[in-house]
Amino acid sequence: MAGKSGHRPAPSGPPLLDGSTVFFVLLALGAGLAVFLLQGADAFHTALTDGLGLLLLILPIVVTAVLVGAYVQAMVPRAVMERWLGGSSGLRGLFLATAAGSLTPGGPFAAFPLVLALYRSGAAIPVCVTYLTSWSVLGINRALVWELPLLGTEFTLTRLLVSLPLPLIAGLLTRLLMRHLARSTR
Amino acid sequence: MISAYVTLGILLLGLALWRQRQPEPGHRRIAAGGWRQMRPLLVRIPIALIAGSFLAMLVPRELVATSLGDGSGLQGILLATVLGAVMPGGPMITFPIALALISAGTGTAQMVTLITAWSVLALHRVIAFELPALGWRLTGIRLLACLILAPIAGLLTMLLAAARA
Repeated sequence: MAGKSGHRPAPSGPPLLDGSTVFFVLLALGAGLAVFLLQGADAFHTALTDGLGLLLLILPIVVTAVLVGAYVQAMVPRAVMERWLGGSSGLRGLFLATAAGSLTPGGPFAAFPLVLALYRSGAAIPVCVTYLTSWSVLGINRALVWELPLLGTEFTLTRLLVSLPLPLIAGLLTRLLMRHLARSTR
Repeated sequence: MISAYVTLGILLLGLALWRQRQPEPGHRRIAAGGWRQMRPLLVRIPIALIAGSFLAMLVPRELVATSLGDGSGLQGILLATVLGAVMPGGPMITFPIALALISAGTGTAQMVTLITAWSVLALHRVIAFELPALGWRLTGIRLLACLILAPIAGLLTMLLAAARA
């Protein structure tokens, strides 16, 4: 695959090797070296085999999770989400923003441009805050790809459950803050 | 681990069946989109896991258990909020560290708090993406409104655990 895809212009999405990946390679090497020096070759070996064993268990989960994400993205296109977010800033608008945020896949390079576009086209600030909060705490894609395999189903479900009200709380608090700001500048 | 396989299997099957009832887009195109997102993960996840299992060896267990364990209560939740807010980097860095902290004895409520704080406050993300894209006013209002979300999530987790017990 290397020869063929190497000449194609970069596909949308994150690059294969970015700054944080390089940083983490260095961190892995440093931590490995520290384990080797501080706790000996046996501990180093145990940690390495533990990590590789976990990797084998997790890879099928990650592949399935990415496919789930791809289906969600294909079935709920960006245009639908933008319509959800363009609506009222009442409770209904906040609920729709919560749904849109949790379905938005990808990192900050995907979510922030969308919010910026919404904000410029006149979406209410509480809606933007609710959307961003939902994207960050309820984001299905990240939960499936990273959290479920590494931290387990029970932890992930517990965290998602207690996070359900958070986007709404953030939106309502934003409304209060803005009312306060408007009053104090008057 | 098995429950993760089952959950995802059912989700994928459901989505594929739902797609089957719509005319567009083809399964093949969806899979190609998935592969595009998969490629960087194939590099990142192995590195993250190996770094995580080395870090787990280095974490000072007693310190973590007393300051972030189940018994650390509200104080642990506040500490987790601060730790989460300043934790740098994306999921590739945070989740392996979280795994190491859990194996060192961090309580569920404290870990939920840490991940929530990292998710909503993420100061590195604010500086790198949010301020340049959205500006001071919108970012400031969002941060103010989100300050208490992580402790709320931690306290709700405690309530949930108490209700179950």
